[in-house]
Formats: sequence, structure tokens, C-alpha cells
Amino acid sequence: MNFLSDFGLNPVLLAAQVVNFLILLWILNKFLYKPILKILAERRKKVEDSLEHAEEAEKKLLEATEEAQNLIAKAAVEGQKIVDGATKAGLQIKDEIVQKANEAAAVVYKKNEEAVRLREERMMNEVRAAAADLVTVVIQKLTGKVITKDDQKSMIEKEVRNLS
Amino acid sequence: MENAIVLKPEILGFYKNLPITNTLLVGWVAIAILTVTSLIIRFRIKIIPGMLQNVFEIIIDYAHSLVTGLAGERKAKIFFPFMMTFFLYIIVSNWLGLLPGFGTITYHGEPLFRSTNSDLNMTLALALISAIATHLFAVKYLGIKNYLLRWVALNPIFLFVGILEIVAEFTKIVSLSFRLFGNIFAGEVVLSTVSGIFAFILPLPFYFLEIIVGFVQAAVFAMLTLVFMVLLSEKHAEH
Repeated sequence: MNFLSDFGLNPVLLAAQVVNFLILLWILNKFLYKPILKILAERRKKVEDSLEHAEEAEKKLLEATEEAQNLIAKAAVEGQKIVDGATKAGLQIKDEIVQKANEAAAVVYKKNEEAVRLREERMMNEVRAAAADLVTVVIQKLTGKVITKDDQKSMIEKEVRNLS
Repeated sequence: MENAIVLKPEILGFYKNLPITNTLLVGWVAIAILTVTSLIIRFRIKIIPGMLQNVFEIIIDYAHSLVTGLAGERKAKIFFPFMMTFFLYIIVSNWLGLLPGFGTITYHGEPLFRSTNSDLNMTLALALISAIATHLFAVKYLGIKNYLLRWVALNPIFLFVGILEIVAEFTKIVSLSFRLFGNIFAGEVVLSTVSGIFAFILPLPFYFLEIIVGFVQAAVFAMLTLVFMVLLSEKHAEH
């Protein structure tokens, strides 16, 4: 095999290289491929997990938002209801107060009217009495006599007689 | 390199019966570099990768998904370390051979460093490992009976085809080893020749070319090994 020895082929060197390669294969497999493939798988799993978590969180957030919206809508409706009720109650109370006030006013008015009427009457009586006294005094002065009841009577009769 | 083109690796010394050639020495350097790198990664491995870990993660993840896609999950566990180690070892050795000092630093009149794969011993050893591992895996996955049925048949036509396939298996070894050897050796020759013509600037394009060649040859060797392993460990189509 002259042709092969031209290339410097040497069985010992061949064997040395085979051994070299096998040692390298063992070392790389143990210290490079296995750890890296393991950590790659680990990372893949971690990423998958976190993606799943993120999805879950997003879903939860969506649910929570929806719930919050529902609560707000419900609260608004309830609040409106309360306001309506309060308005109604207020109106009712106002009506009642106005009515009571009207009634009270009516009572006071009536009382006042009565009092005024009584005073008027009393005043009229007093005026009448005073007028009668005045007339009596005037007649007395004119006739020079005190008009008594009998005089009055006789005068009236006399006048009546004249008339007829 | 002022000396003429030599196919044989230069022998620097002997350790007992083992001749220490400059190519073997560089092979050890490549192994040392890969070992140290992998140890650094192994003991500083983190779930959030650093720079170095990231680079190797990209390479290994890509290669692993490639092997898994071709061979399936179960076989990938066995095939992947071979394919990946071929790639890393060859690419590191090839690129080491481009460093300054290769061929120029001498030791007892011989160049101290020479690209590992410019020595047929080295490439042939890799090709033999590739072929033997391929056949061992074929036996492992097919069983000895199915494995042998691939090569021999009672039908004379298929018997002939079987013989051709046996020849083809040896061709694979030759083509794998000589392809790698030829490319790297030729690269060395080209670089030394061009540097001999004019040492400044002029060799630069050839260095770029050799960087690409170094990568391509590593990828080709690894991919071919993978494909041979996958093909041979699959059940032969029914006749």
C-alpha cells in the first residue's frame, strides 16, 4: 500500500485520533449537550407555564373588570332609586307642611275676624250710647227739662197724634 | 512555509510507540479548547444564559431540532452527540488552522502546528468512527437479521444490489475522509502559496474563503454522518 503511506497513514496515529474523538465525544456529551438540552427543556417549560399564567391572569382581569362594571351599573340603578324615593318623600312632606300651614293660617284668620267683628260691635254700641246721651243732653238744653222715660213716651205719643 | 508541499504530517517526537505529529498536537489543542469551554458552560449554566451559553444553546438547539426532525425523538438521543461532536471538533480544528503561527513556528526544523484535518490519519479516523457507529446503530435499531438482509438476498438482482451497497459503504468512508482532508489541505496550500507571493492584504480573501470552507466542511461531515445513520437505521423498503 505505497499509495496510503504517501499520505503518511499510520495505524497508531489513526488509533490515537479515534481515542481522541471518543474522549471528546464523552466529555461534550456529559458537559455540554446534556446540560444545555436540559436547561433548554427547563426554559421551554418555564415559558409555557408563564404564558399559561399570563393568560389566566388576563382572563381573571377581564372577569374582574366585567364584575366591577356590573357592580357600578347596579349601584347607579340603586342610587337612582334612592334619589327618586327621597324626592318623592320630600314632595310628600312639603305637601303636608303646606297643608298644615294653610290650615293653621285659616284658623288664625278666622279668630282675627271674630275679634275684629266683636270690637266693631262693641264700638258701635258705645257710639250709639254716646249718641243717645248726646241727643238727650241736647234736648235737655233745648227744652230745659230732663227728659225722662215718661217724657219720651208722651212726646212720642204727641208726635204720633200730630201725624194722624 | 518555505518547504515544499508535504502530504505527511511532520513528526515532532515520539511518546513510546506513538509518534507525536504536529496535526495530532493541534487535535489535542482543539479538544482542550472544547473541553474547557464545555466545563465553563457546565459549571456556570443558568436558566438566563450568559453570552457563551447563549451561543452554544443556539447551535445545540438548532442541531438537535434538525436531528429530531430527521431521526425522531428516540434515535436523536443517540445520533445527536455524534453529529454534534463531529461538527464542533472539525470546525474548531479547521478554524484553529487559520490562526497565525500555523506552519510558521518551527520546532527542530518542522512546523509546530498544522491544521488537524490536513492529515489523512485524522480525517480517516473520523470517517471510520462515523461508518462504524452508523453500522452499529443499524444493528441496534434493526436487529442483526434485518441488518444482514439489507446486504444479502436470494434474488440474484438484489444480491448484486447488495454487493453494490457494500461497496458503497466503503466509498462513503473514502469520500468522507478525502473530502475533508482535500479541502483543508488544499486550503493550507493555497494560503501558504498566496502568502509566498505577497504576504500583505493579498491572502485576506483566501482567509475569508477558508473560514467558510472550514464551516462548510464541518457541516457537511456532520450532516452526511447524520443522514447515513438515519438511512441505515431505517427499515429497508419491502421488495
